Amino acid sequence: MAFVALALSVMFADNRYDYLDRVRFSVGYFTTPVYWLADTPARVSAWFDDVFVSQRDLLEENASLRQQLLFAQRELQLLAGLASENSRLRELQEASQAVQGRVMTAEIINVSNDPGVRRVLINRGANHGVTEGQALLDAHGLMGQVEEVLPFTSWILLITDSRHGTPVQVNRNGERAIARGSRGEAPGLELEFVPITADIEEGDLLVSSGLGQRFPKDYPVAQVVSVVHDPGQPFAIIRARPLAQMDRTRHVMLVIPDDETITSAPVIFEAGEQTNLPPTAEPVISEPVAAEADGPAGVSP
Amino acid sequence: MSPKHNGTWVIVLSFLLAYLLAIVPFPEWAMYYRPQWVALVLIYWIMALPYRIGIGAAWMVGLFTDILEGSLLGIHALTFSVLAYITLSLHQRLRLFSYLQQSGIVLALVGLVMTGTYWIKVVSGQTAPGGMQFLLGALSSAFVWPWLFLLLRQLRRGFDVH
Repeated sequence: MAFVALALSVMFADNRYDYLDRVRFSVGYFTTPVYWLADTPARVSAWFDDVFVSQRDLLEENASLRQQLLFAQRELQLLAGLASENSRLRELQEASQAVQGRVMTAEIINVSNDPGVRRVLINRGANHGVTEGQALLDAHGLMGQVEEVLPFTSWILLITDSRHGTPVQVNRNGERAIARGSRGEAPGLELEFVPITADIEEGDLLVSSGLGQRFPKDYPVAQVVSVVHDPGQPFAIIRARPLAQMDRTRHVMLVIPDDETITSAPVIFEAGEQTNLPPTAEPVISEPVAAEADGPAGVSP
Repeated sequence: MSPKHNGTWVIVLSFLLAYLLAIVPFPEWAMYYRPQWVALVLIYWIMALPYRIGIGAAWMVGLFTDILEGSLLGIHALTFSVLAYITLSLHQRLRLFSYLQQSGIVLALVGLVMTGTYWIKVVSGQTAPGGMQFLLGALSSAFVWPWLFLLLRQLRRGFDVH
């Protein structure tokens, strides 16, 4: 009975107040070795792959990588021209520079064992300078943000978690929306509160809009896979597939925020919250965008 | 007579292995079938050594689970304490049961633990409410129980843990 009461009080304290976060952080020193051990099979197999590989395979891989590098460099050259043109145009409009930010590489070492939660553990923590709210990318797109920092590791909340909303805009026309993790079985995203008249089509590329000041602007997030206009529904039902390879990739990048970027704990949706709530009741992260999506289809300049 | 308690390291090691198995990454489709290793090992030790592993130990084991998984502190501490209480009151009977009967009890116990954990997580907004699939873990736990039981009993006898 006493233990039940103790457990209940600890739960209450952890849910409502911050001071148990320090306890969590310190105990992180003990949990890190366990995760390190659990990751051992993956590291051993990677080591085997590295050691027992024929020279021919290496040469082939080397050749293909060189080719890829060549293509990438060519695109980079074009990009340099575009970037300077872009910055000149921005100067003309007196708009601020896009947030680019430097990156820090990391590796995913574990995934949450709760099927209802989409979180991963990375091998960078407070000792490497990770802070709450940093964005995580892989080679293909935005993956998530840092939810909890431990001494040597940190938990990442993926954008496909149903409690996570990502401010996005359509790359084609700048139409803005919130992409929320879908509640269904398949990991995906749903655009919330998009009016039926919005110009969003199948195959559109969604990039991060930078609103909410948490994610850097213009990183690819997802591709629209289906648009359903149900006359009985006030909003269009739009599903998107994240571009980041959530369950295949191991190598990821953390964006190191610039000074102007706000860093604080991520704002979590209540899991029980339903989509048919008025958009004004949304938490801070989505406020500007939700208000926009509710109004007439606004195409940003 | 040997010292009063013996082989603490066997118990600690078995829990450590259970923690490892609990967090080893699974493919997406197999997530729901992950047996609740920590709860199973806990049930075994309470059944075998009720005078050593009790509600207090279960509470600590649960708290470490919470810290490891990064879930709300106290969820597993609470459910494992309840689990320990029920197992303690059943342990005399459990020892006499056949493997099949034991598996049935384990199914009920682990199902209870998982339901309690799930409810608290949903209420506190830690996880998304879904279907009943989360109970598949209890089924797989009951399935692996006889083998785990035999293995742990061999360990306990081999190292004379008492």
